[in-house]
Amino acid sequence: MPAVRTVEAMMLGKLDWSAVPFDQPIPLIAGAIVLVAILGVLVWVVAKGHLPYLWHEWITSVDHKRIGVMYILLASVMLLRGGSDAIMMRIQQAVAYQSQGYLPPEHYNQIFSAHGTIMIFFVAMPFVIGLMNLVVPLQLGVRDVAFPTLNSVGFWLTATGALLVNISLVVGEFARTGWLAFPPLSELSYSPGVGVDYYAWSLQISGVGTLVAGINLVTTVLKLRTKGMNYLRMPMFCWTTLASNLLIVAAFPILTATLAMLLLDRYLGFHFFTNEAGGNVMMFMNLIWAWGHPEVYILVLPAFGIFSEVVSTFSHKALFGYRSMVLATMAICVISFMVWLHHFFTMGAGPDVNAIFGIASMIIAVPTGVKIYNWLFTMYGGRIRFATPMLWAVGFMVTFIVGGLTGVLLAVPPADFMLHNSMFLVAHFHNVIIGGVLFGAFAGFEYWFPKAFGFRLDERWGKAAFWFTILGFFITFVPLYVAGMLGMTRRMQHYDVASWRPWMIVAAVGMAVLTIGVVCQIVQLVVSIRNREALRDRTGDPWDGRSLEWATSSPPPVFNFAFNPDVRGEDAYWDMKVHAQQQSLQRDGPEYQDIEMPRNSPTGFVCAFFATIMGFALIWHIWWMVILGGLGAFATFVVFAWRDHDEYVIPAEEVAAIDGINLEERRSLVSMAGTV
Amino acid sequence: MSDQSHIGHDLAPGEEEQHSVGTRILGYIVGLALALLLTATSFFIAGTDLVWQPSIPVALIVLAIAQMGVHLVFFLHITTGPDNTNNVLALAFGLLVVFLVVGGTVWIMAHLNANMPPMDQIMMRQ
Repeated sequence: MPAVRTVEAMMLGKLDWSAVPFDQPIPLIAGAIVLVAILGVLVWVVAKGHLPYLWHEWITSVDHKRIGVMYILLASVMLLRGGSDAIMMRIQQAVAYQSQGYLPPEHYNQIFSAHGTIMIFFVAMPFVIGLMNLVVPLQLGVRDVAFPTLNSVGFWLTATGALLVNISLVVGEFARTGWLAFPPLSELSYSPGVGVDYYAWSLQISGVGTLVAGINLVTTVLKLRTKGMNYLRMPMFCWTTLASNLLIVAAFPILTATLAMLLLDRYLGFHFFTNEAGGNVMMFMNLIWAWGHPEVYILVLPAFGIFSEVVSTFSHKALFGYRSMVLATMAICVISFMVWLHHFFTMGAGPDVNAIFGIASMIIAVPTGVKIYNWLFTMYGGRIRFATPMLWAVGFMVTFIVGGLTGVLLAVPPADFMLHNSMFLVAHFHNVIIGGVLFGAFAGFEYWFPKAFGFRLDERWGKAAFWFTILGFFITFVPLYVAGMLGMTRRMQHYDVASWRPWMIVAAVGMAVLTIGVVCQIVQLVVSIRNREALRDRTGDPWDGRSLEWATSSPPPVFNFAFNPDVRGEDAYWDMKVHAQQQSLQRDGPEYQDIEMPRNSPTGFVCAFFATIMGFALIWHIWWMVILGGLGAFATFVVFAWRDHDEYVIPAEEVAAIDGINLEERRSLVSMAGTV
Repeated sequence: MSDQSHIGHDLAPGEEEQHSVGTRILGYIVGLALALLLTATSFFIAGTDLVWQPSIPVALIVLAIAQMGVHLVFFLHITTGPDNTNNVLALAFGLLVVFLVVGGTVWIMAHLNANMPPMDQIMMRQ
């Protein structure tokens, strides 16, 4: 019946029952478990009557702290998803010696593509953006980010991207092309399925979210600082946030444009990156890495900022070489746009081009080295407390130096020709991303958790998590360096070389140790929530901190500060404690004033709801639904743009009541710090 | 930006207007006239044989850059005043990134065949 087929094609596009992988048990079972878990949580939330609370306090919230927490929650959940992919890959490579292993090739290819995509875009990015969102306005001494509702839109669009990637598990397939979807493999002729479309549309939608988050945070740092907080008094984390978000604003449009061109190739028969009709595959490599290298620094710069805060706090000293640190951060920000060719030395642009980009890649290690020395000198002569955040920071320094040195090795073009796309490369970038970004994220998580929730995390389980993670990390990735030296290439579904086998087995054992580390982290969270009364942070300053986020209660009130702090120097809060100068602490009855705060808005959630519909419809060529989703999102924007009331007032009495409680706790602390 | 009082005065483009409506309209009219003049000149140059032909592309590039300048000054309100530091810095950073990415891309793509045998010479010999 051709007429029925046509109607079906109009209504459902390419979607039919064959999209659900009934013949593949692993994704189906995994998908079913996730679905049951989500439904279970939803039923529990509705049955317990938490839905209104969730809607009013979290989903529609424009409070930067709440949005930050939701970013981190998203990243943590996706970390489990991406980690499961990693476990499956390590097991596959441990067993697939002279055999097919347990994963069929097309499934294995989807797994490594999903692993990379998820870990970068939906774990690392939301984790660092979440921490920046949570902390930067507090460190700057202000009440919110520059554009609170836009912040919510950015978060929910990121969540949309993550949702689409996970839908691909059950409906259709994911890309089999690797995490950057290189053409011509990602072109329609070689990847006719919806996998690449899932990849590209989820990145396009979450990319918009990342871009608005970047614009928001740049504006916040440049425009919203409290009195006296000039640029050279900002905490280091604010500087790295500025640099990282400048890179987001400059680099993410390149990713969007590149993926848009790939999509035009796939949807409308263009020839940007095809082999025929004048297309140029190499242009894709060039453009994607022109985004991809700055992306590396977008991720690691905030981590550098976190370590700067942690090392200085737990060494009981001001950061060594603050100005050189600022200079190094901004130097990295610029140089990161001058090295992207080192990802494709083997493309063959000749010795001149390769030499220049190789030298630039080595030069960028210099400001990074400056940072390492600054942290070491901060620790030197300090009174160091090895609390969990500090352990992550020290573990980072050791691990990251190894990763950085193998990176400098790979920056030598002749060496790179040997090691390109080998397991050595895989080990290198995991060494810098896990050792740099993930350790940084964990350090920030442990360090700022009390600020976000008002109680500390359990130290014993935190330390156990650290030791298992760092041990597991080295047991997993040192063998991959060796395997790379023995000539093993990346992304192998199976292999026949006997000498690689033992290393793959050791790596799988390491993965098990890493998994114990993750379990410890989950147990730590559960134990800490149970013992929250014993771990309660009443003063708002659990670590004897130095910057302004510790100058307010934990968790901070919605308006952050009853009075905008007056900053007189670097390490603003330390200064206040030592000199007991904070006026609100000295005065008996401070004169509180009304505070205006932005009203909550469902704009972000509704926008993302329509974006999800639109993305799904685009992937499956359901054109009426694309139009519906687009109109819905536009209508949401129009409704928001024509709103009448966007702020509400917290009366002075309420501010006084909230602030008074914390003030009492804090006075005792100030007198203690003053005696030091 | 050593003094905090600057922050209060450092405004977004378009926000800084303290002048009367008349002055502002005059600014836009001057901008429009300049933009139209530059556009008209470009079209005229492209089709004329009054100038030395090889100079036409160079002239068009110069006119295009001038056009960008007019837009930045009259419509996007980029000035050299102290209230505009952030905007000027943002513009400089943007230009630097565009220069690096576009210049680098052109350079890289022009050398793509550096490791290939010289095909044209081989073809000629045959």
